[in-house]
Amino acid sequence: MSTLASEIVRDTSAITAADLARGGRVSGTIGDITTPDPRMVCRGVNVWYGAKQAIKEVGLDIGKNQVVAMIGPSGCGKSTFLRCLNRMNDTIDGCRVQGSIQLDGQEIYDKRVDPVPLRAQVGMVFQKPNPFPKSIYENVAYGPRIHGLTNSKAELDALVETSLRKAGLWNEVKDRLDQPGTGLSGGQQQRLCIARTIAVSPEVILMDEPCSALDPIATAIIEELIDELREQYAIAIVTHSMQQAARVSQRTAYFHLGDLVEVGETNQIFTNPRHQLTEDYITGRFG
Amino acid sequence: MTEAEGPVVRTNLVNGHTVRAYDRELTRLRGLIIEMGERVVEQTQGAVAALLGEDLSNAYRVLDREPQIDYLALDADEEVFRVIARRQPTAVDLRVVLALARIAGEAERAADKAARIARGTLDFRADDTALPPSIGDGLRAQGERVCCAVQRSIAAVAQFDSELALVIFENEPGLIEASHTVHLALCSPAQTPLPPAKIGALFNIAHALEHIGRHAGAIAEQVIYVAEGQDVRFRNREILIEALRHRPG
Repeated sequence: MSTLASEIVRDTSAITAADLARGGRVSGTIGDITTPDPRMVCRGVNVWYGAKQAIKEVGLDIGKNQVVAMIGPSGCGKSTFLRCLNRMNDTIDGCRVQGSIQLDGQEIYDKRVDPVPLRAQVGMVFQKPNPFPKSIYENVAYGPRIHGLTNSKAELDALVETSLRKAGLWNEVKDRLDQPGTGLSGGQQQRLCIARTIAVSPEVILMDEPCSALDPIATAIIEELIDELREQYAIAIVTHSMQQAARVSQRTAYFHLGDLVEVGETNQIFTNPRHQLTEDYITGRFG
Repeated sequence: MTEAEGPVVRTNLVNGHTVRAYDRELTRLRGLIIEMGERVVEQTQGAVAALLGEDLSNAYRVLDREPQIDYLALDADEEVFRVIARRQPTAVDLRVVLALARIAGEAERAADKAARIARGTLDFRADDTALPPSIGDGLRAQGERVCCAVQRSIAAVAQFDSELALVIFENEPGLIEASHTVHLALCSPAQTPLPPAKIGALFNIAHALEHIGRHAGAIAEQVIYVAEGQDVRFRNREILIEALRHRPG
């Protein structure tokens, strides 16, 4: 099969002459980018790093009480897109974001929006656990304190406990809250980071390969936690593990060379994808 | 089917994984299933030949060879488990593995029916009872149609060719008609001057042939499942053929 043929979408109704001229690439995303109850609505998002365009006209809703998994080969733009959702890309020199990204109807790239509180509303968990070099308690208490979310020590204590409980870590650390967060195991550190994110009452949690540095047991605990967190938050997760995407998410978005190629129910994407590129990627034929 | 005319494996559904061992495992699994199907055809042809001809050794050979197909089914099961455990297949690969597991079951049951025909033949011919010509002609025609359907279904598996699967569906009325013809002849005392026990044995043989034909149809359903991503079991055949033949694009 030629490269061109292998890249042509199976759903021929979505192909335009312009797509074929570009080697079978689709001009639009296959599947429904919308969700009935969106927390974040992204439309026509383009990102450039200097002259290089990393994301092209991406549109996607992040739904309430839903995990959306973003998958795709390295360099496809999935992490770049994730980082747009809480303006983390603002910190990168030469990065330019264009398009509309709304959180509960509010344009997050509006000049009046302060990115610091935005990053509390749209929290992020990174690939490598990154607890502050402080005590377990302080790791969780730091955010609420600087955002002024509590009025008393008792309130802060309660918030720390609640956050650690939601992160499934309380029983393991309740007797050593004053010990350094960096002394915990990798899986515990990652849950501490999730507790830290939860403590500032986010609406959306972004996770960029949160289990890639963890062993299978710690990964299973985090996946279980993600499923529980879904009841209260909207979650977007970038992962290189197909199985993880299939296990934890309700919707899956497949990125390729900066395009959002296909979005759909996770069950559909992993059993019957509509785009040849999606199928080739998830079945391990490239990537 | 001669070796030269044998199934040609289309590569894009099984091959092309970054991990080449995965390709080899899927190819091996499909090879086992195709071998089972080819043996079903041989067994059915042998059993029918024993019924229609003088040489009963064909029937004994069919019974001797039946366990080999059972062993192939066990090998296929083992390969399916191995692929699932090692590769966690998704999308078309998952459909291929599931479909091949189901096809192995269909082929194994079809082989059982061929053995039933062989046993029925030995019972029928135990006291040198002659097969009435009209019944023999009917069973020969039914056997040929059934073997052709199984051959086609295996060729369809080799290429995951949904067009060929549709041809099998389109020919199913012919299989039913052939079976009906034999049944009518067996119910006609003028054409069947045989004692009731012998007529019963021939009914069982005709039933077994009919079932083998149904297994061919079930295998074709799995080919559609892989190629089109649609589970078409229990769907009305006429509507299905119409839908797949006249789909857009």
